[in-house]
Amino acid sequence: MLGTTTLAALPLGNMLFIIIAFLLLMLILKKVAYGPLTKVLDERADKISSDIDGAEAARQEAEELASQRQAELAETRQNATKVVSDAKASAQKQSDLIVAAANDRAASVSQQAQTDAQKLKEDAISGAKNDVAALSVAIASKLMQKELSLNDQQALIDAYISDLETK
Amino acid sequence: MDDPTATFKFLGLTFDWTTIISTLLAMAIVIIVSIVLTRKLSVKPNKRQNAIEYLLDFTNGIVDGQLTKKQARQFGLFAFTLFFFIVVSNEMGLLLQFKLGDGVTYIKSPTADPIVTMTLAIMSLMVAHGMGVQELGFKGYIKNMFFTPYSWMLPLNIIEQLANFLTLSLRLFGNIFAGEMLLTLVANSLAWPGHFNGLWSVLALPIEMVWQGFSLFIGGIQAYVFVILTGVFISQLSGNE
Repeated sequence: MLGTTTLAALPLGNMLFIIIAFLLLMLILKKVAYGPLTKVLDERADKISSDIDGAEAARQEAEELASQRQAELAETRQNATKVVSDAKASAQKQSDLIVAAANDRAASVSQQAQTDAQKLKEDAISGAKNDVAALSVAIASKLMQKELSLNDQQALIDAYISDLETK
Repeated sequence: MDDPTATFKFLGLTFDWTTIISTLLAMAIVIIVSIVLTRKLSVKPNKRQNAIEYLLDFTNGIVDGQLTKKQARQFGLFAFTLFFFIVVSNEMGLLLQFKLGDGVTYIKSPTADPIVTMTLAIMSLMVAHGMGVQELGFKGYIKNMFFTPYSWMLPLNIIEQLANFLTLSLRLFGNIFAGEMLLTLVANSLAWPGHFNGLWSVLALPIEMVWQGFSLFIGGIQAYVFVILTGVFISQLSGNE
Protein backbone atom coordinates (compact mmCIF):
# COMPACT_ATOMS: atom_id res chain seq x y z
CA MET A 1 0.00 0.00 0.00
CA LEU A 2 2.82 2.36 0.84
CA GLY A 3 5.22 2.62 -2.06
CA THR A 4 8.69 3.88 -1.24
CA THR A 5 8.07 7.04 -3.22
CA THR A 6 4.84 7.89 -1.42
CA LEU A 7 5.99 6.86 2.04
CA ALA A 8 7.32 10.29 2.82
CA ALA A 9 4.55 12.29 1.20
CA LEU A 10 1.34 10.34 1.56
CA PRO A 11 1.11 9.89 5.31
CA LEU A 12 1.83 13.52 6.10
CA GLY A 13 -1.04 14.89 4.04
CA ASN A 14 -3.46 12.29 5.27
CA MET A 15 -2.35 12.67 8.84
CA LEU A 16 -2.74 16.42 8.69
CA PHE A 17 -6.17 16.00 7.19
CA ILE A 18 -7.23 13.49 9.82
CA ILE A 19 -5.95 15.58 12.71
CA ILE A 20 -7.73 18.70 11.46
CA ALA A 21 -10.89 16.77 10.70
CA PHE A 22 -10.81 15.10 14.10
CA LEU A 23 -10.34 18.42 15.89
CA LEU A 24 -13.25 19.84 13.91
CA LEU A 25 -15.33 16.80 14.77
CA MET A 26 -14.48 17.29 18.41
CA LEU A 27 -15.51 20.94 18.19
CA ILE A 28 -18.79 20.09 16.47
CA LEU A 29 -19.56 17.29 18.90
CA LYS A 30 -18.85 19.60 21.78
CA LYS A 31 -21.27 22.13 20.36
CA VAL A 32 -23.90 19.60 19.35
CA ALA A 33 -23.78 16.75 21.82
CA TYR A 34 -21.15 16.77 24.53
CA GLY A 35 -21.68 20.27 25.86
CA PRO A 36 -25.48 20.23 26.03
CA LEU A 37 -25.53 16.65 27.29
CA THR A 38 -23.02 17.34 30.02
CA LYS A 39 -25.01 20.39 31.00
CA VAL A 40 -28.20 18.35 31.15
CA LEU A 41 -26.50 15.59 33.14
CA ASP A 42 -25.08 18.12 35.58
CA GLU A 43 -28.47 19.77 35.88
CA ARG A 44 -30.01 16.40 36.60
CA ALA A 45 -27.37 15.59 39.20
CA ASP A 46 -27.95 18.99 40.81
CA LYS A 47 -31.68 18.51 40.72
CA ILE A 48 -31.44 15.08 42.29
CA SER A 49 -29.14 16.26 45.04
CA SER A 50 -31.24 19.35 45.68
CA ASP A 51 -34.37 17.20 45.74
CA ILE A 52 -32.75 14.91 48.26
CA ASP A 53 -31.67 17.90 50.34
CA GLY A 54 -35.16 19.37 50.03
CA ALA A 55 -36.75 16.15 51.16
CA GLU A 56 -34.38 15.98 54.11
CA ALA A 57 -35.16 19.59 55.02
CA ALA A 58 -38.90 18.98 54.69
CA ARG A 59 -38.63 15.90 56.88
CA GLN A 60 -36.72 17.82 59.52
CA GLU A 61 -39.22 20.64 59.40
CA ALA A 62 -42.09 18.20 59.78
CA GLU A 63 -40.36 16.56 62.73
CA GLU A 64 -39.74 19.96 64.27
CA LEU A 65 -43.36 20.95 63.77
CA ALA A 66 -44.56 17.69 65.27
CA SER A 67 -42.38 18.06 68.36
CA GLN A 68 -43.38 21.69 68.65
CA ARG A 69 -47.02 20.73 68.47
CA GLN A 70 -46.44 18.02 71.03
CA ALA A 71 -44.83 20.52 73.36
CA GLU A 72 -47.61 23.01 72.81
CA LEU A 73 -50.20 20.34 73.47
CA ALA A 74 -48.52 19.37 76.72
CA GLU A 75 -48.26 23.00 77.75
CA THR A 76 -51.88 23.61 76.92
CA ARG A 77 -52.92 20.57 78.90
CA GLN A 78 -50.86 21.79 81.84
CA ASN A 79 -52.37 25.26 81.52
CA ALA A 80 -55.87 23.83 81.44
CA THR A 81 -55.17 21.77 84.54
CA LYS A 82 -53.75 24.81 86.25
CA VAL A 83 -56.72 26.96 85.25
CA VAL A 84 -59.14 24.36 86.56
CA SER A 85 -57.27 23.94 89.83
CA ASP A 86 -56.92 27.69 90.21
CA ALA A 87 -60.62 28.10 89.63
CA LYS A 88 -61.34 25.40 92.15
CA ALA A 89 -59.06 26.96 94.71
CA SER A 90 -60.45 30.43 94.20
CA ALA A 91 -64.01 29.14 94.33
CA GLN A 92 -63.17 27.33 97.56
CA LYS A 93 -61.65 30.48 98.96
CA GLN A 94 -64.59 32.56 97.85
CA SER A 95 -67.05 30.17 99.33
CA ASP A 96 -65.08 30.02 102.56
CA LEU A 97 -65.07 33.79 102.66
CA ILE A 98 -68.76 33.96 101.98
CA VAL A 99 -69.53 31.36 104.60
CA ALA A 100 -67.31 33.10 107.10
CA ALA A 101 -68.91 36.44 106.33
CA ALA A 102 -72.32 34.89 106.63
CA ASN A 103 -71.36 33.29 109.89
CA ASP A 104 -70.05 36.57 111.22
CA ARG A 105 -73.10 38.35 110.11
CA ALA A 106 -75.38 35.79 111.60
CA ALA A 107 -73.45 35.93 114.85
CA SER A 108 -73.59 39.69 115.00
CA VAL A 109 -77.26 39.69 114.08
CA SER A 110 -78.05 37.21 116.78
CA GLN A 111 -75.87 39.13 119.24
CA GLN A 112 -77.68 42.32 118.33
CA ALA A 113 -80.99 40.60 118.68
CA GLN A 114 -79.98 39.27 122.06
CA THR A 115 -78.82 42.66 123.29
CA ASP A 116 -81.93 44.28 121.90
CA ALA A 117 -84.08 41.71 123.54
CA GLN A 118 -82.22 42.08 126.81
CA LYS A 119 -82.55 45.80 126.63
CA LEU A 120 -86.23 45.60 125.79
CA LYS A 121 -86.69 43.17 128.63
CA GLU A 122 -84.83 45.39 131.03
CA ASP A 123 -86.72 48.46 129.83
CA ALA A 124 -89.95 46.59 130.18
CA ILE A 125 -89.01 45.35 133.62
CA SER A 126 -87.91 48.76 134.87
CA GLY A 127 -90.98 50.38 133.29
CA ALA A 128 -93.16 47.75 134.91
CA LYS A 129 -91.34 48.24 138.18
CA ASN A 130 -92.09 51.93 138.13
CA ASP A 131 -95.65 51.35 137.01
CA VAL A 132 -96.15 48.70 139.65
CA ALA A 133 -94.74 50.98 142.29
CA ALA A 134 -96.95 53.83 141.26
CA LEU A 135 -99.93 51.53 140.96
CA SER A 136 -99.26 49.95 144.31
CA VAL A 137 -99.01 53.30 145.93
CA ALA A 138 -102.20 54.41 144.28
CA ILE A 139 -103.96 51.24 145.32
CA ALA A 140 -102.64 51.46 148.82
CA SER A 141 -103.60 55.07 149.25
CA LYS A 142 -107.01 54.26 147.92
CA LEU A 143 -107.31 51.40 150.34
CA MET A 144 -106.07 53.24 153.32
CA GLN A 145 -107.66 56.50 152.30
CA LYS A 146 -104.54 57.83 153.53
CA GLU A 147 -101.99 59.78 151.89
CA LEU A 148 -98.98 57.79 151.64
CA SER A 149 -95.88 59.27 150.42
CA LEU A 150 -94.50 57.32 147.48
CA ASN A 151 -91.08 58.16 148.51
CA ASP A 152 -91.59 56.86 152.01
CA GLN A 153 -92.84 53.54 150.84
CA GLN A 154 -90.46 53.07 147.92
CA ALA A 155 -88.10 50.92 149.93
CA LEU A 156 -90.84 48.62 151.04
CA ILE A 157 -92.19 48.19 147.55
CA ASP A 158 -88.83 47.47 146.14
CA ALA A 159 -88.45 44.79 148.77
CA TYR A 160 -91.71 43.24 147.71
CA ILE A 161 -90.87 43.24 144.11
CA SER A 162 -87.52 41.72 144.73
CA ASP A 163 -89.29 39.12 146.70
CA LEU A 164 -91.63 38.51 143.77
CA GLU A 165 -88.76 38.27 141.34
CA THR A 166 -86.96 35.70 143.35
CA LYS A 167 -90.02 33.47 143.57
CA MET B 1 -2.59 -4.32 0.20
CA ASP B 2 -1.80 -3.83 -3.44
CA ASP B 3 -5.05 -2.11 -4.27
CA PRO B 4 -4.63 0.97 -6.44
CA THR B 5 -5.07 4.30 -4.72
CA ALA B 6 -6.35 7.63 -5.95
CA THR B 7 -4.35 10.56 -4.68
CA PHE B 8 -4.12 14.27 -5.28
CA LYS B 9 -1.52 16.84 -4.38
CA PHE B 10 -2.27 20.02 -2.46
CA LEU B 11 0.31 22.46 -1.09
CA GLY B 12 3.02 19.90 -1.77
CA LEU B 13 1.29 17.27 0.34
CA THR B 14 -0.25 14.15 -1.08
CA PHE B 15 -3.75 13.26 -0.03
CA ASP B 16 -5.50 9.96 -0.46
CA TRP B 17 -9.10 10.14 -1.62
CA THR B 18 -10.11 6.91 0.10
CA THR B 19 -9.00 8.12 3.51
CA ILE B 20 -10.54 11.54 3.03
CA ILE B 21 -13.90 10.33 1.79
CA SER B 22 -14.16 7.52 4.32
CA THR B 23 -13.14 9.71 7.22
CA LEU B 24 -15.51 12.47 6.21
CA LEU B 25 -18.33 9.98 5.78
CA ALA B 26 -17.70 8.47 9.22
CA MET B 27 -17.58 11.91 10.76
CA ALA B 28 -20.76 12.93 8.96
CA ILE B 29 -22.50 9.86 10.37
CA VAL B 30 -21.25 10.71 13.85
CA ILE B 31 -22.45 14.29 13.55
CA ILE B 32 -25.84 13.40 12.09
CA VAL B 33 -26.48 10.74 14.73
CA SER B 34 -25.46 13.18 17.44
CA ILE B 35 -27.72 15.90 16.12
CA VAL B 36 -30.67 13.55 15.74
CA LEU B 37 -30.21 12.07 19.20
CA THR B 38 -29.75 15.39 21.00
CA ARG B 39 -32.81 17.21 19.73
CA LYS B 40 -34.98 18.60 22.52
CA LEU B 41 -32.72 17.79 25.43
CA SER B 42 -34.35 17.93 28.81
CA VAL B 43 -33.59 16.96 32.38
CA LYS B 44 -36.19 14.23 32.03
CA PRO B 45 -34.86 12.35 29.00
CA ASN B 46 -36.80 10.93 26.08
CA LYS B 47 -35.83 7.76 24.21
CA ARG B 48 -33.32 9.34 21.81
CA GLN B 49 -31.67 11.29 24.56
CA ASN B 50 -31.39 8.10 26.61
CA ALA B 51 -29.45 6.45 23.79
CA ILE B 52 -26.80 9.14 23.50
CA GLU B 53 -26.69 9.59 27.27
CA TYR B 54 -25.92 5.91 27.51
CA LEU B 55 -23.03 6.38 25.09
CA LEU B 56 -21.73 9.37 27.01
CA ASP B 57 -22.10 7.55 30.32
CA PHE B 58 -20.16 4.66 28.81
CA THR B 59 -17.17 6.77 27.76
CA ASN B 60 -17.34 8.80 30.96
CA GLY B 61 -17.34 5.53 32.85
CA ILE B 62 -14.14 4.43 31.08
CA VAL B 63 -12.55 7.77 31.89
CA ASP B 64 -13.77 8.15 35.48
CA GLY B 65 -12.45 4.73 36.42
CA GLN B 66 -8.85 5.64 35.61
CA LEU B 67 -8.36 9.35 36.05
CA THR B 68 -8.73 12.00 38.68
CA LYS B 69 -11.91 14.02 38.58
CA LYS B 70 -10.23 17.05 37.05
CA GLN B 71 -8.50 15.03 34.32
CA ALA B 72 -11.66 13.06 33.63
CA ARG B 73 -13.49 16.31 33.03
CA GLN B 74 -10.78 17.44 30.58
CA PHE B 75 -10.51 14.11 28.83
CA GLY B 76 -14.27 13.47 28.61
CA LEU B 77 -14.90 15.20 25.29
CA PHE B 78 -11.86 13.61 23.65
CA ALA B 79 -12.84 10.14 24.86
CA PHE B 80 -16.42 10.60 23.72
CA THR B 81 -15.41 11.81 20.26
CA LEU B 82 -12.71 9.15 19.92
CA PHE B 83 -14.99 6.30 20.86
CA PHE B 84 -17.90 7.48 18.78
CA PHE B 85 -15.69 8.05 15.71
CA ILE B 86 -13.80 4.76 16.00
CA VAL B 87 -16.96 2.71 16.50
CA VAL B 88 -18.61 4.29 13.49
CA SER B 89 -15.42 3.89 11.46
CA ASN B 90 -15.00 0.25 12.44
CA GLU B 91 -18.55 -0.72 11.61
CA MET B 92 -18.90 1.43 8.51
CA GLY B 93 -16.70 -0.77 6.31
CA LEU B 94 -18.66 -3.85 7.29
CA LEU B 95 -21.88 -2.40 5.98
CA LEU B 96 -20.64 -0.27 3.14
CA GLN B 97 -17.74 -0.57 0.75
CA PHE B 98 -17.65 1.37 -2.43
CA LYS B 99 -15.40 0.49 -5.31
CA LEU B 100 -15.28 2.28 -8.63
CA GLY B 101 -14.34 0.80 -11.96
CA ASP B 102 -10.74 1.93 -11.60
CA GLY B 103 -10.27 -0.58 -8.81
CA VAL B 104 -9.98 2.02 -6.10
CA THR B 105 -12.05 1.36 -2.97
CA TYR B 106 -13.31 4.84 -2.18
CA ILE B 107 -15.33 3.99 0.87
CA LYS B 108 -14.24 1.54 3.55
CA SER B 109 -13.49 1.64 7.24
CA PRO B 110 -11.09 4.55 7.80
CA THR B 111 -9.60 2.55 10.66
CA ALA B 112 -8.59 -0.23 8.24
CA ASP B 113 -5.85 2.19 7.13
CA PRO B 114 -2.69 2.21 9.30
CA ILE B 115 -2.16 5.91 8.62
CA VAL B 116 -5.51 6.74 10.18
CA THR B 117 -4.98 4.58 13.24
CA MET B 118 -1.45 5.90 13.68
CA THR B 119 -2.75 9.44 13.48
CA LEU B 120 -5.38 8.65 16.08
CA ALA B 121 -2.70 7.04 18.24
CA ILE B 122 -0.46 10.09 17.86
CA MET B 123 -3.32 12.33 18.95
CA SER B 124 -4.13 10.11 21.91
CA LEU B 125 -0.50 10.01 23.01
CA MET B 126 -0.13 13.75 22.56
CA VAL B 127 -3.12 14.22 24.83
CA ALA B 128 -1.62 11.75 27.30
CA HIS B 129 1.80 13.41 27.30
CA GLY B 130 0.25 16.86 27.49
CA MET B 131 -1.82 15.89 30.50
CA GLY B 132 1.28 14.32 32.04
CA VAL B 133 3.20 17.58 31.73
CA GLN B 134 0.24 19.51 33.07
CA GLU B 135 -0.07 17.17 36.04
CA LEU B 136 3.59 16.73 37.01
CA GLY B 137 5.39 19.69 35.48
CA PHE B 138 7.98 19.09 32.78
CA LYS B 139 10.71 17.76 35.07
CA GLY B 140 8.39 15.50 36.97
CA TYR B 141 6.92 14.28 33.72
CA ILE B 142 10.33 13.33 32.29
CA LYS B 143 11.32 11.66 35.53
CA ASN B 144 8.03 9.78 35.73
CA MET B 145 8.22 8.67 32.10
CA PHE B 146 11.88 7.59 31.85
CA PHE B 147 13.31 7.04 35.34
CA THR B 148 10.50 5.29 37.14
CA PRO B 149 10.74 3.10 39.13
CA TYR B 150 14.56 2.98 38.71
CA SER B 151 16.79 5.21 36.62
CA TRP B 152 18.60 2.23 35.04
CA MET B 153 15.26 1.31 33.46
CA LEU B 154 15.61 4.23 31.02
CA PRO B 155 16.18 2.03 27.93
CA LEU B 156 13.21 -0.14 28.79
CA ASN B 157 11.07 2.93 29.34
CA ILE B 158 12.06 4.39 25.97
CA ILE B 159 11.14 1.14 24.27
CA GLU B 160 7.88 1.11 26.20
CA GLN B 161 6.91 4.55 24.92
CA LEU B 162 7.57 3.47 21.31
CA ALA B 163 5.74 0.21 21.89
CA ASN B 164 2.78 2.12 23.30
CA PHE B 165 2.43 4.00 20.06
CA LEU B 166 2.79 0.94 17.87
CA THR B 167 0.50 -1.33 19.87
CA LEU B 168 -2.18 1.33 20.18
CA SER B 169 -2.28 2.05 16.46
CA LEU B 170 -1.52 -1.36 15.00
CA ARG B 171 -3.95 -3.25 17.24
CA LEU B 172 -6.84 -1.22 15.92
CA PHE B 173 -5.61 -1.32 12.34
CA GLY B 174 -4.90 -5.05 12.42
CA ASN B 175 -8.25 -6.04 13.82
CA ILE B 176 -10.31 -3.94 11.46
CA PHE B 177 -8.17 -4.56 8.41
CA ALA B 178 -8.20 -8.32 8.96
CA GLY B 179 -11.93 -8.25 9.48
CA GLU B 180 -12.55 -6.42 6.25
CA MET B 181 -10.05 -8.44 4.31
CA LEU B 182 -11.59 -11.72 5.32
CA LEU B 183 -15.02 -10.33 4.59
CA THR B 184 -13.87 -9.32 1.13
CA LEU B 185 -12.28 -12.69 0.55
CA VAL B 186 -15.42 -14.54 1.50
CA ALA B 187 -17.55 -12.16 -0.55
CA ASN B 188 -15.28 -12.52 -3.58
CA SER B 189 -15.40 -16.25 -3.33
CA LEU B 190 -19.17 -15.97 -3.55
CA ALA B 191 -18.94 -14.39 -6.97
CA TRP B 192 -15.64 -15.57 -8.28
CA PRO B 193 -15.80 -14.83 -11.99
CA GLY B 194 -16.02 -18.05 -13.93
CA HIS B 195 -15.88 -20.12 -10.80
CA PHE B 196 -19.48 -19.74 -9.74
CA ASN B 197 -20.52 -22.74 -7.78
CA GLY B 198 -24.03 -22.83 -6.33
CA LEU B 199 -23.13 -25.06 -3.41
CA TRP B 200 -20.15 -22.92 -2.43
CA SER B 201 -22.29 -19.79 -2.48
CA VAL B 202 -24.84 -21.36 -0.19
CA LEU B 203 -22.06 -22.48 2.14
CA ALA B 204 -20.31 -19.13 2.07
CA LEU B 205 -23.33 -17.01 2.88
CA PRO B 206 -23.67 -18.16 6.53
CA ILE B 207 -19.90 -17.85 6.96
CA GLU B 208 -20.11 -14.30 5.67
CA MET B 209 -22.92 -13.48 8.05
CA VAL B 210 -21.17 -15.03 11.02
CA TRP B 211 -17.93 -13.19 10.22
CA GLN B 212 -19.79 -9.92 9.74
CA GLY B 213 -21.43 -10.29 13.11
CA PHE B 214 -18.13 -11.16 14.72
CA SER B 215 -16.49 -8.18 13.08
CA LEU B 216 -19.21 -5.89 14.43
CA PHE B 217 -18.40 -7.20 17.86
CA ILE B 218 -14.65 -6.79 17.27
CA GLY B 219 -15.21 -3.24 16.04
CA GLY B 220 -16.97 -2.28 19.28
CA ILE B 221 -14.37 -4.00 21.43
CA GLN B 222 -11.47 -2.35 19.60
CA ALA B 223 -12.99 1.11 19.98
CA TYR B 224 -13.42 0.44 23.67
CA VAL B 225 -9.86 -0.86 23.98
CA PHE B 226 -8.47 2.16 22.16
CA VAL B 227 -10.18 4.60 24.51
CA ILE B 228 -9.38 2.61 27.63
CA LEU B 229 -5.69 2.36 26.62
CA THR B 230 -5.59 6.08 26.02
CA GLY B 231 -6.92 6.47 29.55
CA VAL B 232 -4.28 4.08 30.84
CA PHE B 233 -1.50 6.08 29.13
CA ILE B 234 -2.81 9.32 30.59
CA SER B 235 -2.94 7.69 33.98
CA GLN B 236 0.61 6.30 33.62
CA LEU B 237 2.11 9.52 32.31
CA SER B 238 0.40 11.52 35.03
CA GLY B 239 1.97 9.26 37.60
CA ASN B 240 -1.28 8.22 39.27
CA GLU B 241 -1.09 4.47 39.08
